[in-house]
Amino acid sequence: MRQRASIDVIGARRDESSSRRLRRVWAQREESLWRVGGRVATLVPVGALVFLVAVLAVKAWPAVKVNGGSFLTSTAWLPGNTYGGVEHVHGVTIPAGARYGAWPLIAGTLQTSAIALVFAVPVSILTAFALTEGLPGWIARPVGFVVEVVAGIPSVIIGLWGVLVLGPFLARHVYPLVANRIPDVPVLKYLGGSVGYGEGLLTSGLVLGLMIVPIIASTTRDLFLQVPALPKEGARALGMTDAEVARRVTLPWVRSGVIGAAVLGLGRALGETIAVAMVSGSVLGVVSPNLYGTMTTIAATIVSQLDSAATDGTGFAVATLAEAGLLLAGISIVVNLAARAIVHRSGALGAPVGRA
Amino acid sequence: MDEVTRRQVSDAQLASVLHNLDPDRDRPADVIVAEHLSVGFAGQSVLRDVSVALPRGTVTAIIGPTGSGKSTFLRTLNRMNDRVRGFERQGDVHLDGESIWSPGQDLLAVRRRVGMLFQRPNPFPMSIRDNVVAGVRAHGIARGKQLDVVAEMRLREVGLWDAVKDRLHGSPYRLSGGQQQLLCLARALAVGPEVLLLDEPTSALDPLSTEAVESLFRTLTPALTLLVVTHNLGQARRLSDATMLFYDGQLAEHGSTAQVFEQPRDARTARYVQGLVG
Repeated sequence: MRQRASIDVIGARRDESSSRRLRRVWAQREESLWRVGGRVATLVPVGALVFLVAVLAVKAWPAVKVNGGSFLTSTAWLPGNTYGGVEHVHGVTIPAGARYGAWPLIAGTLQTSAIALVFAVPVSILTAFALTEGLPGWIARPVGFVVEVVAGIPSVIIGLWGVLVLGPFLARHVYPLVANRIPDVPVLKYLGGSVGYGEGLLTSGLVLGLMIVPIIASTTRDLFLQVPALPKEGARALGMTDAEVARRVTLPWVRSGVIGAAVLGLGRALGETIAVAMVSGSVLGVVSPNLYGTMTTIAATIVSQLDSAATDGTGFAVATLAEAGLLLAGISIVVNLAARAIVHRSGALGAPVGRA
Repeated sequence: MDEVTRRQVSDAQLASVLHNLDPDRDRPADVIVAEHLSVGFAGQSVLRDVSVALPRGTVTAIIGPTGSGKSTFLRTLNRMNDRVRGFERQGDVHLDGESIWSPGQDLLAVRRRVGMLFQRPNPFPMSIRDNVVAGVRAHGIARGKQLDVVAEMRLREVGLWDAVKDRLHGSPYRLSGGQQQLLCLARALAVGPEVLLLDEPTSALDPLSTEAVESLFRTLTPALTLLVVTHNLGQARRLSDATMLFYDGQLAEHGSTAQVFEQPRDARTARYVQGLVG
């Protein structure tokens, strides 16, 4: 009996030590899974970007050669004779008379995105202020939830609403209030003139603005909630109003984060396709003479012209759309870098987040 | 004035001249008077029936165990508690003879006149110079070039000028904790308060910084009236003319600092100042 018990004890010990070894082996395997897996996983987005830009560049190359530098400045959008006649330019076969210039698309993209930001940033900051300071919790929580839900509405639905409801309403009741009061003088007259029927530059910009408000507002709200109470209390104790506390303490405290949120929204505005294609009027080759005119953007042009471009047997139209896509990617990257530079500059007073 | 005429000035005349020079001559001698002040939050009583008068130009220390209501009392004096959830009060607090809750009182003006310094330094996310003049700007006391003058004057007043004069437009967060607290003091002084509420102002500072800040407090009277909440009994003795001891939401003892520490009337005070309870 005694012997048996001791064997049991030894056996148990063996079990324990082998289970420990097993645990160590698994721990090492898990460790290497995280390390190796992590490295592989980071390659996915990087690889995707490189691959994407490379393919786009290869596809666009014939168009880059033919269109040249004037692609950035020209306003022509002529598919040429797609039924037979061809010409050869720099060794590339193109339909006879095909001429492309992207200036209206570039201008449209930058204008609509600028309008979207001008509308969305103040609205978002005020929303975030209301959600964190202004409203009681039992209203703020559901409203905050709704703001986040709006971010998930498909853009085609917003586009549909924009073209059927918002655009006509603005053109009939709101735009004239401004446009009819603008004197016919340089610069200012850009805000006046014909307001059209609700499809165009300003409507596109406002629809884009509505689409990016939820992103910027919910990010800004989360940032506001991170601001420690002590500096805000100090400002209140100094006799500042809630608005002054927000302007002088809360907002500066998270300034770089708010700029980052705005850039996130701007990225979406630059690339947003279908909603703009629906409300812009999709007019090629024209830079809108005033704030209300019909126009188009790079993204909207790519989606609206792809079908007809496919009918170009030489492939030149598709190559040109690829070049436009490359341009859009380039604009997005430049905007991002510029925003980083701004964030870096505004962080010169030290990044106080995390300090109290 | 020659020797002869100077001798002819009587003590009474001198007193009257001095009285006329005193900017506070038409104000009540007690700058803050609490009358049967009771404060609670959502039904929970925190302060009970506190009545006290604080003479202008003195330093009063407020001591007592944690949770005894010292900070609540302090924060009630510039209405920082008004918006805390469930705030309720009975009784009143008078500032220069007028209730701080009277309809004619402007909340922001009350806070300008009754400034506050917190447990930990809380500079705003702006340059050192902008921190000093933040309140001045908000109240429209000065603007433009005057702001630089105000900033320099207040930074000199707290002894920070030489340390920061070359980085006025730099970040306040690179200053040491003691310097940051001095900056916050300069900021509070810049709006010209009559009363300064100090909520454990040195509890986050090292001994050397504490000494610097304490010695500065003493230079602020009699122009200002100071109220210091502190857990540091040594600080209360060094700094104050009078001491209030809170115990369980009540004002257990109020008298000259020497009396409170050496001949306490209340048994709880005796135990507290001897360090037997804390």
